[in-house]
Amino acid sequence: MLNFKINLNEIDKIGKFSKEEKDFRLKNLNYFNNVGFPNKKQEDWKFSDLREIVSKNFSKLNIKSSEQEKSKINFIKDFEHNYIVVINGRLTVSDFRFEENDKIKLKSFTNNDFADRKENNPLINLNHALSDKGFFLEIEENYKFKKILVIYNLFTNDLNEIILNSKNKIKIGKNSELHTLNLIINQSEKNFFNNVYENVVLEKAAILKNICVQNNKSSGYFHKYSKHELSNASNLTTFIFPSGLKFNKLDLEFNLNGENCECNLQSASFLNKIDHQEIKTRVNHNSPNCKSYQKVKNVLDSESKGIYQGKIFVKDVAQKTDAYQLSKAILLSERSEFDSKPELEIYADDVKCSHGSSSGSLDKDSIYYLMTRGLSENESVELLVNGFLSEVIESIKSDSMKNFLKKKLADQLNGYKKN
Amino acid sequence: MLSIKNLSASINNKEILKGVNINIKPGELHAIMGPNGSGKSTLANVLSGREGYKVSGELKYQGKNLNEISIDERAQKGIFLAFQYPTEIPGVNTRNFLKTSFNKVRKAQGKKELDALSFLKILKEKSNELGMDEKMLSRQLNVGFSGGEKKKNEILQMKILEPNLVILDETDSGLDIDALKIVADGVNSSRNDKKSFLVITHYQRLLNFIKPDFVHVLADGKIVKSGTSELAIQLEKTGYKGIN
Ligand SMILES: Nc1ncnc2c1ncn2[C@@H]1O[C@H](COP(=O)(O)OP(=O)(O)OP(=O)(O)O)[C@@H](O)[C@H]1O
Ligand SMILES: [Mg+2]
Repeated sequence: MLNFKINLNEIDKIGKFSKEEKDFRLKNLNYFNNVGFPNKKQEDWKFSDLREIVSKNFSKLNIKSSEQEKSKINFIKDFEHNYIVVINGRLTVSDFRFEENDKIKLKSFTNNDFADRKENNPLINLNHALSDKGFFLEIEENYKFKKILVIYNLFTNDLNEIILNSKNKIKIGKNSELHTLNLIINQSEKNFFNNVYENVVLEKAAILKNICVQNNKSSGYFHKYSKHELSNASNLTTFIFPSGLKFNKLDLEFNLNGENCECNLQSASFLNKIDHQEIKTRVNHNSPNCKSYQKVKNVLDSESKGIYQGKIFVKDVAQKTDAYQLSKAILLSERSEFDSKPELEIYADDVKCSHGSSSGSLDKDSIYYLMTRGLSENESVELLVNGFLSEVIESIKSDSMKNFLKKKLADQLNGYKKN
Repeated sequence: MLSIKNLSASINNKEILKGVNINIKPGELHAIMGPNGSGKSTLANVLSGREGYKVSGELKYQGKNLNEISIDERAQKGIFLAFQYPTEIPGVNTRNFLKTSFNKVRKAQGKKELDALSFLKILKEKSNELGMDEKMLSRQLNVGFSGGEKKKNEILQMKILEPNLVILDETDSGLDIDALKIVADGVNSSRNDKKSFLVITHYQRLLNFIKPDFVHVLADGKIVKSGTSELAIQLEKTGYKGIN
């Protein structure tokens, strides 16, 4: 077994820092080194023993390497868009050709929040200690983007036994609106770990619609912690379409801080082989009259494992909360596994909260019906799985985006073979 | 076209069909009537290849043994079953499904697959003949369709797939008088001397519209009586107790 404690002088290799920052990084690295990669003894990680996964698949973890900064990108041709290119976590180029450029600020991320918080998730400490890249995007007040912003997140083929730590922040000003497509393109066939800390801030009446798509399967191990802050009357919609990775954990926190805000999270995943994917959410209803909606759909084949841990917290002042949570899973193989842990913690009395969870195999009668119409068993399964997952896509308004996502899903399911 | 000899079928150790014999020649239309639970749908299921039954006896379609042939292959070879209770399939768009099925069957029969445009033309024509609202075709397959709409959707598939052997399992149940006429017209217009039909029904009324060549009574898993369309009229008067 490997010892994944990280030497304190690794921090000096990343860069030169002020005393305050250096202390912050050291403190966080010490936190991490005390706990290490989380294992299933920790409540939040009981379905994802990361320590085991890392020690099984990595012989070492480099912090700093001289990975590529350039790579060829196949830009999307299906629709016009602005773009940002992020390579291995580092911001490289951007193009806002459809927008008023003075309304947009984009730069490499520099952290200046060195407050000492004991994080519950050691990977956040690790990120605080070692993060050396990422971007900060800020949209001024009263500006509505005319075209979608595509964030191309590229991982180059020379990544190997390395851990990348990056921090991103997106801030949307009062009454402004942004739509993004976060496209993760992975070219590495070797093992690497990507650890992201993300902070999304929506000011009053701001709107963010975000679609996150993993373009392809890969050997990446991904962890992302994402913290969303919503002010009065703001509106956040997130769609997540993962491709299935050996490890992918999304730890998403939504703070509904202002009144009348709304957050909507939907996800559709097709997992196979030994994919391991966890979506963990925490929705904090901190104010009255807010709405939250979550729908997580998974189809699992072979020996894949899917997890959904969803917690809804309603503070005593958050009256008239309307919170909804639904998880549905289809297991195509007896060796696949789906775990779901819904949790409600409610301190207000006038609230509407509901959650539901179901998992099971595909309906045999449906397969029979389709086969009597000439479709093979595999084709029938493919059609049913596609139907189950594309329901999430159907709720996206833009037709060009819908078609784009349907194509991606079809590629993923193409030539489904029952094992 | 279809020869059924001494066919028995059981499920969960319960014997449902107990030696059925029927012989259908090309161009013939046979009706099967019989009390609830007598095994009519089971017979239809077994003919379609549904799994889960222990089957013995002989099933020959176009001279070939059916036993080893899978559900989808039977469909591709021209066997079509209109379900008594069509399955609701969420997430699957009716129009796309129809196109997939159509081309799948065509391809298996060595015909050219049609592009979306040519297919939609055919679909439009056939659904109009059945008086179906086109909006229904944009919906999820059978989901929320009324009983009658589901039955019409089955007949639509029959018309599109142009099968050689059509099995209708109580397609008339749940249809209003106008719809019954439309469906009957649909069946009559596709009748020819090469196609055969096996029509399961409870009502003589349907057989006024669709003239059967033979009528069989299935009771407790066996054909207890066979005759011409006169038999159906007699049954209407006497009920199943009046035979034997
Ligand atoms: N999976 C099963 N397990 C046990 N019994 C079954 C099963 N499927 C059908 N049966 C029984 O087999 C018998 C025949 O059923 P079937 O559906 O073929 O009847 P039917 O003649 O079509 O009746 P109806 O006129 O009501 O449609 C019934 O008694 C039914 O309960
Ligand atoms: Mg029946």
